[in-house]
Amino acid sequence: MNTCLLILLVLALLLIFCLIYKLKHINEQISFIKDVLADMKAGNLNRRILVQENDRTKQICYDINQIAINSQSQLIHQKQSEQAYKRLMTSLSHDVKTPLASLVGYLEAVESQLVTGKEKDEYIHVAHEKAQYLKHFVEHLFEWVKLDSGEQVFHFEVSDLNEITRNIMADWILVLENSHFEYEIDIPEEEYPVRMDSNAYTRVINNLLQNVMVHSGGSKIILRIAKEQQRVKVIIADNGKGIASDKLPHIFERLYQCDHSRSAKGNGLGLAITRELVNAHKGTITVNSALDRGTEFVISFPKAL
Amino acid sequence: MNDTVIKTKRLTKKYGTQTVVNKVGLHVQKGRIYGLLGRNGAGKTTIMKMILGLTPITSGSAEVFGREIGGNAKRIYSRIGAIIETPGFYPNLTGTENLEIFARLRGTAFPNAVKNALEVVGLPYKDKKTFAHYSLGMKQRLGIANAILHDPELLILDEPTNGLDPIGIAEVREFIKALSVEHGKTILISSHILSEISVLADDIGIIDQGVLLEESSMRELEKRNGKYILLQVSDIPKTILILERSFHVKDYSVQDEQTVRIYDTTLNMGEVNKALVMEEITVIRSGICNDTLEDYFKKITGGEGIA
Repeated sequence: MNTCLLILLVLALLLIFCLIYKLKHINEQISFIKDVLADMKAGNLNRRILVQENDRTKQICYDINQIAINSQSQLIHQKQSEQAYKRLMTSLSHDVKTPLASLVGYLEAVESQLVTGKEKDEYIHVAHEKAQYLKHFVEHLFEWVKLDSGEQVFHFEVSDLNEITRNIMADWILVLENSHFEYEIDIPEEEYPVRMDSNAYTRVINNLLQNVMVHSGGSKIILRIAKEQQRVKVIIADNGKGIASDKLPHIFERLYQCDHSRSAKGNGLGLAITRELVNAHKGTITVNSALDRGTEFVISFPKAL
Repeated sequence: MNDTVIKTKRLTKKYGTQTVVNKVGLHVQKGRIYGLLGRNGAGKTTIMKMILGLTPITSGSAEVFGREIGGNAKRIYSRIGAIIETPGFYPNLTGTENLEIFARLRGTAFPNAVKNALEVVGLPYKDKKTFAHYSLGMKQRLGIANAILHDPELLILDEPTNGLDPIGIAEVREFIKALSVEHGKTILISSHILSEISVLADDIGIIDQGVLLEESSMRELEKRNGKYILLQVSDIPKTILILERSFHVKDYSVQDEQTVRIYDTTLNMGEVNKALVMEEITVIRSGICNDTLEDYFKKITGGEGIA
């Protein structure tokens, strides 16, 4: 009888110690969670609660972490677009100021009759070109802002990519021949159905071809369409001067231009717009290039079922 | 909240009579990438080890999250991920098994932490290859996976691209950048390659023979970097007309109402100034900026350069 009681007593004591130990562990954990939460509340959304595999608070802690991760990424996203906007504004002011200042210079010279006759005509011609550049720049800019803010409305429908591309290229052939560009076009006969906005797609192809003509310095354009499992690829390649590897990762950034020249030709928005348009189609655009080896743009769209 | 994550004050390390780190005062700001640049043996690794409490500090102090690491090690370590030299992994276990051990020891911040970390660095999950059979590049990647396993706030990476091939270097750079830009992590990274630091870092500390020669933001340094002529004049449109017509300058940009940058540095500025003055344009300032970052580092390290 006595031994029985004793055993019971020992067992009860053991149980109590065990519980006290457990309680202490849980208390420690709760105080740790409290610390981390205080830190998160103060704005440190990178803080995480680390838990062991068999902690009872595991799910709660994972959920708290997830909330912190989500708010953090939202916050960062916001900050990024704010910064991008600021950058855009500063570069913009330069991009408008430079051609505008030059335009004013030419017109002032004409206005104050510094130049006459043939020279005057030439000045007016240059001024007109600069005004055109500015007009295009502002148009592009509006297009970009519309895309970036998600205000652009697309009309997607399943169409035959090959047919649409053929139509686009029909318009280009004359242009290419007039500027003495060789071309090689390889569009398959069968239908490749893709869900697309044909206007936006036309913009994409036009932008890329324009890009080759203005910037590549090459003499040949290749356009090829190929099927690849669930995707359709449009490849536009040239035999021009290529793009240096350190510049390659940046070419789709808005207002990025390989040369510093802000007064010449392009405006650094074309490829940024192109990428946004391709993204809207759930497609991807990549570029392969090396100096003096030409450039190859590959657009890939998911095939419509 | 304090925005300085790592702060060292007159941090010094001596081995006998030799001083390897000399009164270094580093300031790593929250959410930024701090690049510690210096040649091999400049003292970069020793500084990182002292910050982490892996080697005793001779004099001075190092604070992480506003506290010294001694005594607070357990709580602070859970907030840091680090790779210093080659990390210790079990050679006869696979990468996944190795990380699972660390995950158990340290605890995790979300489910599937191991899988996630391996994905980030581009290693396969549940691969059968043991660590002993890993290439140098894979070992390095596993080291980085281990450092980000518990989703820490601060990463201390000592030459993380060592032993990687060029494509690997580009990939690692990309995700280090992403950790900072997309996830807001604070990162202290060391390298002896100027180009690596200059593409990655927001702030930069240049260390030579144990002495921190300069600590500055990349943006500040970039202002001194570049080849262009700066021209400050009273009338921008007239100036541009002269530049375009008489000097055939095409590559320029207008900075503000009085300043224009010309990117062709071979331009004869004497002639330009003369032409401008003849047209009654006041030239307030004209100067050439002809420094690259490389030149600048040579200057401050006393002509020897960094890489």
